[in-house]
Amino acid sequence: MATATALKKKMVRINGCVAAAQAAKYADVDVIAAYPIRPYTATMMALAQMVANGELDAEYIVADSEHSQLSISHGASSSGARVFTGSSGVGVQFAYELYSPISGSRMPVQMMIADRTLDPPGDFGSEHTDALSTRDMGWLMGWSCDAQEAFDNHLIAYRIGEDPRVLLPQMVCQDGFFVSHITGDVELPDSGQVKEFLPPYKHPYPLDPRHPVSHGPQIMPEQGPPLQLERARAMEESMAVIEEVHEEFGKIFGRHYDPWLEEFMTEDAEVVFFLQGAHAVTARFAIQHMREKGLKVGMVRLRTIRPYPTDRVRESLSKFKVVGVIETNMGLGSVSSGGVLYAEVCAALYEADKRPLVLSFMAGMGGEAIVLKEFYWMTEKMMEVQKRGKIEKRTHWVGFEE
Amino acid sequence: MATIEVQRQVLPILGNPNQGARFYNPELPSSEPFVPGHRTCAGCGPSIQYRMTSKAAGDNTILVGPTGCMYVANSSYLCTPYNVPWAHTQIGSAGSFTAGVAAAYEAMIRKGKWKGQFPNIICEAGDGSASDIGLASISGALYRNHDCLIICYDNEQYANTGIQASSRTPYGGMTTFSPPGPLVPEGKKLYPKDLARMMAAGHPHCYVATASVGYPIDLMNKVRKGLNHKGAAYLMVYTPCQKGFVYETPRSIDLGRLVVECGLYPMWEWNPEQRAYDYSFRPASMRPVSEYLKLQGRFGHLHAEHIANLQKFANEQWRMMGVALPEALIKAADAKNLVNMAAAEEAATVAETV
Repeated sequence: MATATALKKKMVRINGCVAAAQAAKYADVDVIAAYPIRPYTATMMALAQMVANGELDAEYIVADSEHSQLSISHGASSSGARVFTGSSGVGVQFAYELYSPISGSRMPVQMMIADRTLDPPGDFGSEHTDALSTRDMGWLMGWSCDAQEAFDNHLIAYRIGEDPRVLLPQMVCQDGFFVSHITGDVELPDSGQVKEFLPPYKHPYPLDPRHPVSHGPQIMPEQGPPLQLERARAMEESMAVIEEVHEEFGKIFGRHYDPWLEEFMTEDAEVVFFLQGAHAVTARFAIQHMREKGLKVGMVRLRTIRPYPTDRVRESLSKFKVVGVIETNMGLGSVSSGGVLYAEVCAALYEADKRPLVLSFMAGMGGEAIVLKEFYWMTEKMMEVQKRGKIEKRTHWVGFEE
Repeated sequence: MATIEVQRQVLPILGNPNQGARFYNPELPSSEPFVPGHRTCAGCGPSIQYRMTSKAAGDNTILVGPTGCMYVANSSYLCTPYNVPWAHTQIGSAGSFTAGVAAAYEAMIRKGKWKGQFPNIICEAGDGSASDIGLASISGALYRNHDCLIICYDNEQYANTGIQASSRTPYGGMTTFSPPGPLVPEGKKLYPKDLARMMAAGHPHCYVATASVGYPIDLMNKVRKGLNHKGAAYLMVYTPCQKGFVYETPRSIDLGRLVVECGLYPMWEWNPEQRAYDYSFRPASMRPVSEYLKLQGRFGHLHAEHIANLQKFANEQWRMMGVALPEALIKAADAKNLVNMAAAEEAATVAETV
C-alpha cells in the first residue's frame, strides 16, 4: 500500500541521515536491510521508527553483517522489491564481495553511505575512501553536500537506477557528520510530486514463479566479455538518462541541479578547488572572503563520480590556470601518492588543448573539518604555482607544512 | 494501513515414507522443476537430491543457489536445468539472499504489488557454504524466521573446487586438503561439525531435520514439512559425491542407506512445536561402519585404529538417539577386532560377522 499518499509539502529541520530515511519513505521501499555502524546508523534508526509507527510498510531486516545486508538487498531486488540499505567505513568494505554481483545482475539496489574513515585505528570521522574504493564496481555514485541535496539525490538515484535503460545499483553518498549529523532545512515534497517523478519499480526479469528465469548462471570464458561490455555500456548510456532525470526533477520539485558539476565563482577564476561533498559548504565561504580581497579563486564540485563526466571535467577545468584537488580520501602509493581523485582529474585533462597545473591536497582527512584558514593556505599554494608556472611539489598534506 | 493477507501453500505428505529407492509412489507429482541435461557427474548425489526436493516443492517455487557444485555444474549460461526461477548468489550469502527473496514476497504480496500464493523459497547450499562461509548468514535467516527452507546438500567436502576438506568432512576422510601421509596416517583428524543439531539448538522455533538420498520419500516429506512450516526450516541431506568419495557410480543410493544403517548419519527431526527431537526413524538394519567405509576410496588408507575411532563415533550417535547397541558394534569399536582398510577383503569378513 502506498503509505506515503497523504503526505503534504512541508519544511522540516533534519540532518542528512534522517533526510535519507525520509527519501526512502517517500520512495515507499519494500525491503530495508539494516546493520549498525556509525555514522549512517541514524538513517536505519529513523526508518525503524517509521515502520514501528506504521508510517512506512516495509520488511525491516536487522541483518547479521554488512555482507548479509547487501545479499538480502540483492535477493529482494532480484524478486522485484524496491530495496534500501546503507553503511559506513569498514562496513562498506565488509560487503565488498557483493558490489560486482549486484551491478552484474543489473539490480537497482540503493545504498546510502555516510562516509567514515577506514580502520586503523577506529576513526569515526568522514573520509571518502570507504565508498571510493568501490568506485569501479558498476554502481552509480555521487556525493551530496547538505541534507536537502541528500534527500533529493536519493529520489533521483532510484529514478535513474530503476530506469529500464540503466538498471544499475546506486551509492548515494554523504559525508559522515558534516552532512549526516548536521541539521538543516529540508523541504519534504507532496507525495503527489514523488508519485509523478518516481514510477513503481518494475524489473523486466524478476524471480517470479510464473515467468521462470535463471539469474547469474556459470559462463564459459568467451561468454564473459560480452556481458562485461553490456555492463560497461549500461554505465556509459546512463549519462543521457542522468541528465534527463535531473531536468525532470527540477521541473517537478523546483530544485535544479547540474548532474555533474557545481561551479562556484568560476567565471573569471584562475585557480579553483576541485572536490566532492560537504567541504564545498566551507569552500564557498572561503572563496567569498578571498574574492573580497581580489583573489581570482573559485570551486568546482563533482556531484557524480560514476559514471565519470570526463568531457565535462575537461571542458570545465581547462579554463583555469591551476586546479587544487581536495582529496578527502586515501590512495596509498597512487599516482600522486595522495588520494585517488587526482588521477581522475588529470586523466580527464590529458586530451585538453590547454591544461591547468594540478595539485593534490590531502585535506579533511580522518574527518577533520577543513577550516577557512586552510582554504586560504591552499589558495596561496595554488597561486605560487600559477606564478612559477610549474609544480615543484605535487601533493600537500594540509596542516603538516608551513 | 490496508494490507493484503499473505496466502501460503500447503503440500500433502506422501504415504510409505520409509520405503527404499526402488519403490514407486503414485502420489508423486509429475512436474520436474529440475530437468536432466546438466553437467553434474554420473551418480551425483546432490543432483539426485535436487530432483527429489524440487519435485516435492512443485512449480510455485523459487530456488537460490549459492556457489557450489549445484551452481557451477548445473547452471550453464544459455541453458538451464531449472524450470522454476533460480538465482545464483555468493557462497557466503546462502541465508541472506534467501531472506531477501522471502522478505520481498512478504512485502510485495502484503502491499498488493504481487498477486498469488506465497512461493516456496528454497536455498540449496553445499556443506562448504552451510557449515563454513555462509554459516552466519544461514543462522541469521533461521533466527529471523523468514518463510523459507534452507537445504544443506551435504557431500562432506568442497567438491566443485576439487575435493577439499570442509567442516563436514568426516574423520579419516581423504581430501586434497586432508591427505594421509606418514605423519598424518588418518588424513582428516577432526570430526565433522554437528551442523544440523547446531541449527536446531540455536533456532528452536525452526523445523530442522536430517535426511538422505537413500530414503527418497522420507526426504521429500521432510522437504514438504519444512515448506509447510510457517517460518524458517533447515534440512541437512546426505548426498554422496562419486568424485570425492571414490566409489562405483551406481552405488550412490546404496551409500545413502548404508551411511544411515552404519550410524554415521543419524536421521531425526526437530519438532518446533514440542521443542523435541523425533528419533523414530529406524533403518532396516544396523551395520558396522566398515561396511560403509570399504566401498569408498577416500577411506582406503585407514588403519584398524581409525576404523575403531569411527565406530566409536557411530556408537555415540546411536546412543544419542536412544538406540541400544548390539554386542557386535561395541566389539567393532575396539581396534583389536579390526584389520587395516588396505586389506579390504579381510575388512569385508569383519563386516560379515555382525
